[in-house]
Amino acid sequence: MSAIRIVRIHNELLGTYGDQGNAEVLAFRAKFHGISTTIIDVSYEDQLPRNGNIFLLGGAEDAAQLLSLEALKREKTLESAIADGAVLLAVCAGFQIIGNSFWADGQKVGGLSLLDVESSPGKNRCVGEVKAKSMILNLELSGFENHSGVTTLNSGAKAFAKVSSGHGNGDGRFDGAVAGNVFGTYMHGPILARNPQLADLLLTRATGRAFSQISDPLATKYAGIARKY
Amino acid sequence: MSLALAKLVGYLSRKLLHKSGETIPGKVLLTIYPRALTVLAKGRKIVLVSGTNGKTSTTKALAQVVSQLGTTVSNKTGSNLDRASATTLMSPSEYAVLEVDELYLPKLVAETQPRVVLLLNLSRDQLHRMHEVKKVAARWKAAVDAAPETTFVGDIDDPFVAYALSAAVNSVRVSFGGSRHGDGAVCPACGKYLKWVGSNYSCSCGLTNKNLDQERRAGSAAFRNAELANIAGGILGAPPITFEPSILERVIERKVTGVDCSIRLVKNPASWSEALKSIKGESVVLILNARQVDGLDTSWLWDVSFEALRGKNVAVCGERAIDMAYRLHVAGIESRLENDLPGALTHFNGVESVEVLAAYTAFFKLVSS
Repeated sequence: MSAIRIVRIHNELLGTYGDQGNAEVLAFRAKFHGISTTIIDVSYEDQLPRNGNIFLLGGAEDAAQLLSLEALKREKTLESAIADGAVLLAVCAGFQIIGNSFWADGQKVGGLSLLDVESSPGKNRCVGEVKAKSMILNLELSGFENHSGVTTLNSGAKAFAKVSSGHGNGDGRFDGAVAGNVFGTYMHGPILARNPQLADLLLTRATGRAFSQISDPLATKYAGIARKY
Repeated sequence: MSLALAKLVGYLSRKLLHKSGETIPGKVLLTIYPRALTVLAKGRKIVLVSGTNGKTSTTKALAQVVSQLGTTVSNKTGSNLDRASATTLMSPSEYAVLEVDELYLPKLVAETQPRVVLLLNLSRDQLHRMHEVKKVAARWKAAVDAAPETTFVGDIDDPFVAYALSAAVNSVRVSFGGSRHGDGAVCPACGKYLKWVGSNYSCSCGLTNKNLDQERRAGSAAFRNAELANIAGGILGAPPITFEPSILERVIERKVTGVDCSIRLVKNPASWSEALKSIKGESVVLILNARQVDGLDTSWLWDVSFEALRGKNVAVCGERAIDMAYRLHVAGIESRLENDLPGALTHFNGVESVEVLAAYTAFFKLVSS
């Protein structure tokens, strides 16, 4: 098959918490699986490519989050690509953007409604290590959270992971949300660096192929150690 | 009475606990007498230095400039919270040059009525504590706006500094011809997408590094900080001086297991990027920790380009060495994972000198050993 197109959206705006590493890890894991990839950086002033296979959104401060949303709303490309089966991983501010609504700079704004969730400001900032079990992978994931949102799930979304330590969506029970190929989470790390199996899952979703286990001892060692942070 | 008690506690802490004594006396004093900073600052000429990177070295340089004018006290170790300022001010002097933590700057400005404040830069650092750069800049701006008697000197190539100074009554806006800011995609003043042309920015709201009072030639972070120290000292009437290079770089030279190590402090994306540019040799050790002052989280490693290390002999150590090793691995740069610096140095057979980039806590452990 042709190269997998990994689209890193608005990295200059949503690249303030290391989440851009998710694209690098996807490309790196894909190489082990024998798949070629291209990372396409799309800035605020660019148009999103319609034919992306995996789209990535990262964390950001309020003003940057609003600018990114505004740019995504200028076109319906992301929504169309998702409807056609593309994969989306959205972290922190990016997770809020793809919900129905969220708060930024003191005002409530409508999101892209790719996940049936609502985010509102919480009383306390949630900062620290998170451990949460992904139901899809049946695996404990590790990450680092730093946000003050409280995200509640409506009937159209399932929780992404069950929190064993940390705050996740704000109540300490669940982190993130998932619907089809759309994944939202509060976990930085970057999440795919700390949890390479999740990178493999996204690649499987994007290609429709199941992959055999690959051997990258350093990745396995890091994932194991990070789970104890 | 409070002062005497605080000094006694400081003496005991140095003698009995072998601490540097820069924090404890001030902490005791502020606990029993919260207005101590205001009282200690009265009648003295206070100069403050703050910013994400370069505070300690610039404070040293500026203290050297100011000391030409009269007796001067200054921080000794890089402790920079209000208690360290209180401890420093407990020694009498005409002038005081204080390094101040970014979040404590508003308190210090309000309580010490400084003559001059030098604002170096703001970028991502210890996000578990600072949370968002924009919010720190907004607190700076409020502090600046509330201090019409103070002159603020700032490097406005940094849009966060320019924003903090945007309504200052007395300010000296210094530009070095522009410098692209890693976190500068959004205008801190109005929230619009910030237009950059090369290393210069200009927003439709008016925020720009072209609205300046003094222009200097471009240079390294150390060069810029030296110029800023001389400009700040000049406001008090001190003539500019040429600094020893060692005063402006957080670099120390140490022989470790017979190898000459040039050890440089690094702590956030901006300082790592600056440090990686300075690497000249082929043998490099990276030490990564993730304690409070290092930043508890290492996600930011993925925002730093480590291309400068490609093809070099790299060893990594420290409490979070594996985070670094994996980040480099994905970038296609293989490194050797070791527990500590002596272990890492065993990989450089016959090499006489090695460059070491060390996280904050690792750096200070090496300095004090």
